[in-house]
Amino acid sequence: MTEEKHWELDMNAGPIFVQIGDNVRQMLARGDLKQGDKLPSARELAAMLGVNPNTVVHAYGELERMEVIETKRGRGTFVRTDAPVTQMRRELLRNAACGFAEEVRRLGVDPREALGVLEEVWDVGQPD
Amino acid sequence: MLASLTNVTKRYVRTEGLRDITLEFPAGEVVGVLGLNGSGKSTLLKVLAGLLFPSEGTATVFGGAPRRNRARVVYLGETDALWTWMTPQDALRFMTGLYADFDAARFQELLDNLEVPQRKTKAMSKGERGRLRLAMALARDARLYLLDEPLAGIDLLSREKILTSIVKEWHTDETILLSTHEVAEAEALFERVVFLRQGYLALDKRAEELRSEGRSVVDTFREVLS
Amino acid sequence: MSSLSRFRTLLWLEARRSWVWAVGLIGSLLFWAWGMNQVRFVDPGEQLGVRAVILLVACGIGAMILCLMIGRIRSETRHGQYQVLLLTPPSGYLHTLARFSFAGVVAIVYYIIIGGLAWWAIAQAGLRLDAGSAAQLMLVCPLYGVVLGILPALAWTLLLMVFISSYRISGPGWVPGTVMILATPFLVSWIAEGIWRISYRLPSWRLFAGLRAAIDTAAWEAELEGFEGVFALPQEPLWVMLALSIVVLVVAGRIWQEVEA
Repeated sequence: MTEEKHWELDMNAGPIFVQIGDNVRQMLARGDLKQGDKLPSARELAAMLGVNPNTVVHAYGELERMEVIETKRGRGTFVRTDAPVTQMRRELLRNAACGFAEEVRRLGVDPREALGVLEEVWDVGQPD
Repeated sequence: MLASLTNVTKRYVRTEGLRDITLEFPAGEVVGVLGLNGSGKSTLLKVLAGLLFPSEGTATVFGGAPRRNRARVVYLGETDALWTWMTPQDALRFMTGLYADFDAARFQELLDNLEVPQRKTKAMSKGERGRLRLAMALARDARLYLLDEPLAGIDLLSREKILTSIVKEWHTDETILLSTHEVAEAEALFERVVFLRQGYLALDKRAEELRSEGRSVVDTFREVLS
Repeated sequence: MSSLSRFRTLLWLEARRSWVWAVGLIGSLLFWAWGMNQVRFVDPGEQLGVRAVILLVACGIGAMILCLMIGRIRSETRHGQYQVLLLTPPSGYLHTLARFSFAGVVAIVYYIIIGGLAWWAIAQAGLRLDAGSAAQLMLVCPLYGVVLGILPALAWTLLLMVFISSYRISGPGWVPGTVMILATPFLVSWIAEGIWRISYRLPSWRLFAGLRAAIDTAAWEAELEGFEGVFALPQEPLWVMLALSIVVLVVAGRIWQEVEA
């Protein structure tokens, strides 16, 4: 199940309920959370993170609205088996890419050179 | 409305005081009462607890006078203390015999979670004493909790345990007013934050609202109170 | 939750708080007994006289210690326990009653034992009391004395302490307290005078009626010549002091209930 180390909350980075939602989608995208997995109850998660339970309820409500998770009466909150994981993965990747692209633009570097750097870093970063 | 203050002013010979404070606390909120020393945080909680009476204005708790409704309110003061010879067993006897809403099983659970040793309080560290008093407070099944600096002077690990316990024990129809200096640590707990400055109400807002404006509660604390 | 169950808890608290004082006080009687035993004069009259003085001192010191024991609210105010108690559900009346009851019981035990020591000293002097007189010496006299003097003193001390603690924060809390302390001797003499005037209207209790008949030592015949062997204890002082104690306790309870901390 989701452990504390996967959650990242920053009090300066906007509403917590939004961050919790982002965290869940990140975990899904990265495979730390899979479709059909059980999420901790709002109270459990709140205790784990040290946040107000209502905030978690709000976050879960939003995720439910976005059709990422669902609550099964009496059994708990689960990631939907049809949660759009691929879509989320792409979104996350796009965000990362935008960041990279922004940096490239700011540095005024040629895009092809930038891609080359990317390949370099990719090879170095690969686990053996 | 579980508790309210209407135009409450508290005059003192000494430091703290309240100046024309009007606040309402409905059921189901976790409220942070924040401010510097001498801002009136303790006074506000003491007025709601019934330990102090307003010089002007009215304070009501459960629709009546605070002192009269004291059996339904949990107050954990900063300076109140237990007798030095008391052990957690004695505390259990004390609470069970005086409070009808005290849950002995919950108390034992909290003692275990908070790792309170079975010793006399005079043989306990400040952190252990603080945790014992918190266990006594949270083991009561009330609807209004007034916690005055429950984290003050307590070591880091104990503080985490205390905050976790508060989160775990809170029910959605209960209201907790918590005053603290450790704003950073406790900020995620608060749904609403009330800032006091020199006895005046400086700000009263939802925490998530502040954050959606791009400021953490800590930032707001610095802004409002400097 | 019944008031009785709360009262029992408050009594328990009082016993846990004060048991060292209570045990010390009662234990000190061993010291007085030993002291009395050390007194040996040839003349039994003189011996009895000195022993009586020792017992009187024990009575006085006992009264002081009892008042000190019940009056420890000040330290509780300073360390915050008073605040804790103020917010407990029981009324101020129940709190003061619990403190008073504990001290009262300790006082009764103490003075009954002193009554017993008095009986021993008198027996040692060759005076054998009949059963009736002995019972009066060891039960009636101590109880009378306790109700007449000790219980009012305890109630008054309690009132004084609650008063001082309650007005502590509004500045000069010691002013009303000092006034009360200074006024005490005047009040005592005024009350005593008043009681004296109304005493003996109602039938009084006759003590030691069987004393004369029980004396079996020639040495005492001369001493007790003309002595009727009967003391008459008036009942008025008892009722007055009992009523005053109750009034003072009620006031103390009321102050406890109504004041800030």
